[in-house]
Amino acid sequence: MLIYGFLGIPYDFRWSVLWESPHGTWILDGLLTTLQVSAFSWVFAVLLGIFFGALRTVPYRPFRAVATVYVEFFRNVPLLVWLFFWYFGAPEVFPETIRQWFIRHGMEFWSAVAGISVYHGARMSEVIRTGIQAIPKTQIEAGVSSGLSVGQTYRLIIIPIALRLIVPPATNESLNLLKNSSLAMTIGVAELTFATRQIETYTAKAFEAFSAGTLIYLVLCLSIASIMNRIERKFAIPGLIARAERAEH
Amino acid sequence: MKRIGIFLLLVTFLLSFAGISFASEPTLEKIKRTGVFTVGTRSGSPPFAYINKQNEWVGFSIDLARLVHKNIEKKLGKSIKFELKESIPATRIPLLTSMAVDLIAGTMTDTRARRENVDFSLTFFATGAQFLVKKGSPIKGVKDIAGKRIGTQQGSTNERELRTRYPQAVLVVFPDQPSAFTALAQGKLDAYTNDGIQLWGLKYKAPNPDEWEVVGEFYTYDPYGLAMRKNDSDFRHVVNVALMEGLEGGDYFNIYNKWFGPKSEVPYPLSHDVKTFLMMQVVPK
Repeated sequence: MLIYGFLGIPYDFRWSVLWESPHGTWILDGLLTTLQVSAFSWVFAVLLGIFFGALRTVPYRPFRAVATVYVEFFRNVPLLVWLFFWYFGAPEVFPETIRQWFIRHGMEFWSAVAGISVYHGARMSEVIRTGIQAIPKTQIEAGVSSGLSVGQTYRLIIIPIALRLIVPPATNESLNLLKNSSLAMTIGVAELTFATRQIETYTAKAFEAFSAGTLIYLVLCLSIASIMNRIERKFAIPGLIARAERAEH
Repeated sequence: MKRIGIFLLLVTFLLSFAGISFASEPTLEKIKRTGVFTVGTRSGSPPFAYINKQNEWVGFSIDLARLVHKNIEKKLGKSIKFELKESIPATRIPLLTSMAVDLIAGTMTDTRARRENVDFSLTFFATGAQFLVKKGSPIKGVKDIAGKRIGTQQGSTNERELRTRYPQAVLVVFPDQPSAFTALAQGKLDAYTNDGIQLWGLKYKAPNPDEWEVVGEFYTYDPYGLAMRKNDSDFRHVVNVALMEGLEGGDYFNIYNKWFGPKSEVPYPLSHDVKTFLMMQVVPK
């Protein structure tokens, strides 16, 4: 049906290029690489985010300053620049033997993970900070006065509550992270966007290849959003996060 | 159920973008109507199309496009504006099909697969893939690349050739030439492969040209052509006549000398065979 809409234009749609050998394998490999880059980066970004997000709220000024410098520095430089930095810049400071070892062990992949984690870690820590700041200060005071140290209060009370408050903005960040992983292509990582471009360059079927890419990202993002939605519902703290149960559907 | 419905709605919405019907107005009519001739080209492929130290967008392919421009003006009998637009391998065919540009003049190899979607002019340059290495590298040609990290540019015909015929090499594919060259200069790659003439271009543009060597026999054949929208033979004729008249009248060779002559930045003498081949494409008046 769609094909008929294109009659009369100088372009000939052939969707089969997407699964013809070896193109189908490229898409699958690309998808797998995208998932790997995103998964590693996500774990590191969340850990960095929790650490620096908490640090930005602690009652010690020097700690807060360190965390602020991290966040402002890393989130305000474009991700593309960070990828170039971690691939072309950072490895150059290591001694030659270590550098060679990196080069032989998937340097492109890990440079991409480093770049994405650190950038999204900075953004994630802002999300977590707002979560922590949404908790009344009296909670910390209550924790400390009941005999816990500040560290324990954060670990046992504040962060667990904050994490449950920030699911919606964290979903946002996670989706951004997944889509930003396509920039890894610029430093030679053969991820999903790379694979669709690869098909385009081999077959000159640009519209088919890019539509496939678009659709796969869309499906990935919608699945993540629905998983996060379920998590949000499961862990919502009654009274702390208002849910519009009925209005949504 | 509702969610599936929303999803399907989204998909339809997205696909409808692909369905925006492109006006199939003949190129010459479009140029006459708008008064602009738009050419898609590269900005980092010396000496074919690049931005020079004076910040001007110049090159061999761009000068050939200017020959075409003159012929269009002659044919339409009015003055037409000449405009350049950046087009990388991934975007050049969509740019053509969507009428954003009228001609691709860069370093596009004419291939059978590409001819299914666009039309090509006469071949205006012929080259083949070689390797760029640091002087003294053990890589001397396509036989020495097993287990080596070889950089390529995505979308090039040589990348495809290596992937299918020499799978023992570790391919690292970059979307553009400058980042691949940086990786090579830092020792992250053992060699960088591309069309020989482009490697010469890189070598001469490098801070120390003597550090670099272009090695190996051609392992692919890459005839460059100007690309146009498919099934527009009137326009293609104007383009081809411009090239033929350039070859016949000597303009082509003046342009060649400007970019590849002994005094140019990338000296690359035109071999006898290539010259004969170019001239034999010129059909009688």
